[in-house]
Amino acid sequence: MTEVLAAHLDIALFIAAIFLMMFGFPVAFTLAGVALGFAWLGAELGVFRWAQLNFLPQRVWAILNNLVLVAAPLFIFMGLVLERCRLAEDMLTAMARLFGTRPGGLLIATTVVGALMAASTGIVGATVVTMGLLALPVMLKNGYDPVAACGAICASGTLGQIIPPSIVLVFLGDFLTLANQQANLISGNPTGRSVGVADLFAGALLPGLALVGCYILYQLALTWRQPHLAPPLPPRALAEVGGGAPGESDLVLFLRALVAPLLLIVAVLGSILGGVATPTEAAGVGAVGALLLAAWRAAPQLRLVLAAGLFAAIGILGLLAFFDLRVGRTDTAPAELWAIRIAAGLLLLTCVSVATALWVTLRDGALLDVTFRTARITAMIFTVLIGATLFTLVFRGLGGEETIKHLLEGLPGGLTGAMIFTMLLMFVLGFFLDFLEIIFILVPILCPVLIMMGADPVWLGVMIAMNLQTSFLTPPFGFALFYLRAAAPASVKTTQIWRGAVPYIGLQLVALLLVAAFPTLATWLPALMLRN
Amino acid sequence: MDTVIRLLDRITIGFARLVALLVIPMVLLVFANALLRYVFGYGSVWLYESVIYCFVLVMAGLAGWTLTTNEHVRVDIVYAALPPRWQGVIDLCGAILLMGPFLWLMWDRSLPYVLRSWAMREGSMEISGIPYVWLLKTALLIFVVVLAVAGVSFVLKALQKLLGGRA
Repeated sequence: MTEVLAAHLDIALFIAAIFLMMFGFPVAFTLAGVALGFAWLGAELGVFRWAQLNFLPQRVWAILNNLVLVAAPLFIFMGLVLERCRLAEDMLTAMARLFGTRPGGLLIATTVVGALMAASTGIVGATVVTMGLLALPVMLKNGYDPVAACGAICASGTLGQIIPPSIVLVFLGDFLTLANQQANLISGNPTGRSVGVADLFAGALLPGLALVGCYILYQLALTWRQPHLAPPLPPRALAEVGGGAPGESDLVLFLRALVAPLLLIVAVLGSILGGVATPTEAAGVGAVGALLLAAWRAAPQLRLVLAAGLFAAIGILGLLAFFDLRVGRTDTAPAELWAIRIAAGLLLLTCVSVATALWVTLRDGALLDVTFRTARITAMIFTVLIGATLFTLVFRGLGGEETIKHLLEGLPGGLTGAMIFTMLLMFVLGFFLDFLEIIFILVPILCPVLIMMGADPVWLGVMIAMNLQTSFLTPPFGFALFYLRAAAPASVKTTQIWRGAVPYIGLQLVALLLVAAFPTLATWLPALMLRN
Repeated sequence: MDTVIRLLDRITIGFARLVALLVIPMVLLVFANALLRYVFGYGSVWLYESVIYCFVLVMAGLAGWTLTTNEHVRVDIVYAALPPRWQGVIDLCGAILLMGPFLWLMWDRSLPYVLRSWAMREGSMEISGIPYVWLLKTALLIFVVVLAVAGVSFVLKALQKLLGGRA
């Protein structure tokens, strides 16, 4: 008995950790505590070297001392600022005014807003709750079918994970970088291709947008076949959607709530995909841009200053197109010197407007609220990460790597079989665990083997992201459904929410199979990026 | 017991709020770095590394706050359905059997690691970097301490729940 246990202590650790997590003690400490218990047991049975735990501080330090992961709090900050300045409400209002009077208009508005929110905030719960509180009552009141309405809200809410820039893709990308390095190292190919967060962003972009397209096509088809499910809204009803700053005309609302965030997203994403900025840098720019947007909404009297800063920034970019502005060179031409001086002046203007934005958001309480929430969310994520680090350390120390390798390679069908196993495991765990926990626990264990078996790291990442997104949409445990249940009025039955999600799960599965069959869908854009 | 809990929570939250303010300079520093590098081709190792300093301190200093406000991620399926008394049992067992040993291990292994760094006054890996990595590494110990302080209050709260006092 002891021998059997000693030989399978790694698998026992995995099962015990999952089992104990179900009791509801914080995941971070459950993972760490169970791992420590098994380390002790392993040491007693002679299959674990206690000294391996000496690596723990080094590993934790490596996690903290990582500029790539700084992108996570910055994106969270950006998302919370936009959430706090009621961007979702305003977007929804603007979209509803655009499309609301057409059949199915609000379904499509929900999807588009979900996609935009996904790109700008990437917070699933927030998006679903906001739309459940805002769009759902209007839809129900105007004769929309609850099933169709709930489905659209849940599905568009989960887009936040797949559409870059998203927080989960930052972590997934960083973990895949490590897994890929490890795979290269083991297969004796240390100079093999490296992948980073930017690659994953690029890889997820097309599948993410394709999903949005599929959702909208489905909604169009649905309202075309069965118009009574989503009737056009009378113009009067649009006023009830709420949102919008007081005294704003439709055009201004449209520009501020849709065009400005879209530009911000394009700037952030474009600079990453164009290779101009690292994800961390782009996130920093996005965070400051979000602050400017928030201040713009909150303080109409200061819009001149804010706009001046924005135009100054555009001016700097304009100068950059014509002049070499690098300082500290020996051969700076006189014209360039003047350009540098002008750019410095414009930079000062930008700083003034950023300072103004900080002051405005500080005064209305948004800045501190967002700061504290950002810090808490990030600290929470990193505590889980640290717990998972100990878990992985012990799992490896117990010989888990070999076990996984044998397991995956022993499955029929080679890579296909191994992928199916991985996807199913993640899908089921997605019912209970958050995206990040699954990444922290499973990616370091499974992905090096999968990559060695021939999986493209970027493709693998996109598959994982889409798979988990589907899992969060699947009854009875999907997270998005819970969020909507909490936000929806009591008249909506839980089964209606579940039934609403079903067609979208179908769409997800089709998309997942397509990406599985044609990996180019995920790898084409990153490869293009690499070539530039 | 209430007084002790309140005191511990006040320490945890007060410290965490102070540290959390570092998020603002972190955002601005990353923004400034990006702008300076992209526009003027200017990069300063100090500016870059100060981002990491903010980041590490925030991560380490706030772990306790999320425990105090009970925001750490839980699998809710069973826990949320249980009566408070049983939630207290789970929290108490978890804190003593899972969290306690983990904190002990983190402290036990990190202390020599940090002391080594202190002894050699470990500096940056970069030539002109900030020479205070030895101070920054102390964050590992801060992480343990703030969690321990918040943990004691967490255990006391679990006891209250367990004994059926005010939740």
